[in-house]
Amino acid sequence: MSKQYLTLHTIDNAHPSDIYSLAPTKSQILSASGSSSIRIYSSDQPDFPLVQTLEGAHTLGIHHLVTAKENNRAASAGFEGKVKVWSSDEEGVWKEDGEIVDNHKPGDIWAVALSADGLYLASSSINGKVNVWSLAKDEGLPKIREYETKGSFGLCVDLSADGRFTASGHENGSIYVFNNDSGRLSHSLAGLVQPIRAVSFSPASKLLAAAGDARIIALYDVNSGEQVANFTGHGGWVLTLDWSNTGEYLLSGSHDSKAKVWRIETRTCVATHSHGDKPLWTAKWLPKATRSEMFALGGGNCAISVYREAAG
Amino acid sequence: MEAVNNHLYHPNQMEDPTRSSKDRDWVIARIEGMFERIVDSLIDGNGQLAITLKTRAGISRRKPHTRNVESLPPAKIREINFPGSNEQEAWRFTVLVRILELVHGCLIDNTMMTKRDLYYRHPDLFGKQAVVDRYVDDLACTLGVSRCSLNVGMLVPKLHMNDTVDLSFIRWILVIEKEATFRSFLSSSQWGTWCIQGLALTAKGYPDLASRKFLGRLADDSPDIPMFALVDFDPDGIAIMSTYKHGSYRLAHEDVRPEGTGALCLPQLRWLGVQSHQMSRTPVTEGDTDKDAISEAQGIMRLTTRDRMKARHMLDWDLCAEDGPEQDWRRELQTMLMLNIKAEMQILDELPGGLASWLGTELGGVSGGQTAMACELSDDDMLF
Repeated sequence: MSKQYLTLHTIDNAHPSDIYSLAPTKSQILSASGSSSIRIYSSDQPDFPLVQTLEGAHTLGIHHLVTAKENNRAASAGFEGKVKVWSSDEEGVWKEDGEIVDNHKPGDIWAVALSADGLYLASSSINGKVNVWSLAKDEGLPKIREYETKGSFGLCVDLSADGRFTASGHENGSIYVFNNDSGRLSHSLAGLVQPIRAVSFSPASKLLAAAGDARIIALYDVNSGEQVANFTGHGGWVLTLDWSNTGEYLLSGSHDSKAKVWRIETRTCVATHSHGDKPLWTAKWLPKATRSEMFALGGGNCAISVYREAAG
Repeated sequence: MEAVNNHLYHPNQMEDPTRSSKDRDWVIARIEGMFERIVDSLIDGNGQLAITLKTRAGISRRKPHTRNVESLPPAKIREINFPGSNEQEAWRFTVLVRILELVHGCLIDNTMMTKRDLYYRHPDLFGKQAVVDRYVDDLACTLGVSRCSLNVGMLVPKLHMNDTVDLSFIRWILVIEKEATFRSFLSSSQWGTWCIQGLALTAKGYPDLASRKFLGRLADDSPDIPMFALVDFDPDGIAIMSTYKHGSYRLAHEDVRPEGTGALCLPQLRWLGVQSHQMSRTPVTEGDTDKDAISEAQGIMRLTTRDRMKARHMLDWDLCAEDGPEQDWRRELQTMLMLNIKAEMQILDELPGGLASWLGTELGGVSGGQTAMACELSDDDMLF
């Protein structure tokens, strides 16, 4: 059974260049692109107005931007090699908290992820290393975990909502799950051979979704490491994955501009949308504020489109 | 002549179409035939080794239209012997054998050398460039082929202030980063028709001063002729294009222009390819199997650590800054880093009809397509 999503609003020219990352909070959408600024749009108002611009956050452009699900924290990674941590006050005004410097050589970090409480940041790197930092400000954002892999470029990383697991996806097709409590590798998952460009834990941290150039989305059981499902249908490289708040749906976006919504229970694709004709770099569900589910898409067409589940 | 490393192909040097049967294999066979004669003589032990050459040396070589071979005065035939009657003749034979060997090697590998490259292989033996020039031309004359068929390219000429270049037939100028692509373009059937209206040039990677001066001069003389760059989709490709367009990138970055180098920039140079959106047009069979994904991935490569460093460094250029003039470069460099991929221009060969056909479509829009060629002669005067 298919589901209908309607375009609620499109922010044209949300950025002057490719939008690489969208990071929602309960009332805002933070966005990052090939330009140097982080732009923050309000999702409380019907026309999604621009409410703040963090000018010059990363001069050479921003490749990753993430927010904590239950805390007003964000982290951004720029092409110049720096990682910055941000936080917002009750008014929703963002300011810089600091940079990751402890045991970090600029340029080492590629992808970043935050735990739901915003206390931990996980990162992947070009040399395959996967690291976890504590974002305790008074301790100077220390590195607390360092995981070695076989050295293949870590294109993507995720932290489970409970902070217990870190997952990384690599260019050689490897997918690793690390146990942050023990500091050990939990599983080396049977990969998809081709580069893995997105990994995402389900909200209950029970499942891990992974996808990339193989155009297949694989679901794994985090505890057993078993592959439990395969979603096929994307015609292009899968660049982004995100679970809905309830864990019922998975949102995916691909290089050929297509976004798909998958129903986990039936393992079927229930909706497909096109976001222009340029790569779809980022697709994110918005935290559920109303009865209907909403998601936002961003990509090479420099626009942010917000979709809403059709009523009924 | 400048000491340069370039090949220039101009309609005036184009091969006579009636000689198309004299392909690379044919030329290789003829050269091997010459060697066989020498070997036979050695085996027979009759003392004298000989190579027969036809030459037009002494006859003006600067005929503007060499296409009609029949109208030229007949070539003289001369025999070069070894050991010969004197030291001079022995040297001549040695030079010729060495040139034959180098040309043969180029043909076998299907690579290209300029006369200057040949000279620098054995400057002591050849003594001066003119010796190489003469024997290469004599060899071409002997075989009845153009020098290009020997895989020996022409140097970009050094133009003087009062030289005139006739570009009245030229509708576009194409700068190709890579020699291999340049060669394959020139040997395509399409080039046979396009060479009337286009000029292709390669400097094998980063261009030297002479090719930049040459192009700068063409641009000064004929600012209305569009100039295109075809480079790899990687940081070096963009850096090479930048050297053509803005001069040495270090100077461009610092916005320092030493006096007299202004003409070395080609601000009108347009980026024909390879760009990321052209790669995604690479046909992929519909389907969801691993096999299709792999076939698409052919020609797409991962960035090396050096590539990533270089891309990051280039993003720091003023040219690629947020308010800089080269927004497309910034975007494409970021795309490379995001996907960690690069692609050589050969990837366009995977398109239906190959690279030449793709170029035809891209350049066809510029020249008005092949139908425009018919009326080109009468339109001549309008071009200037």
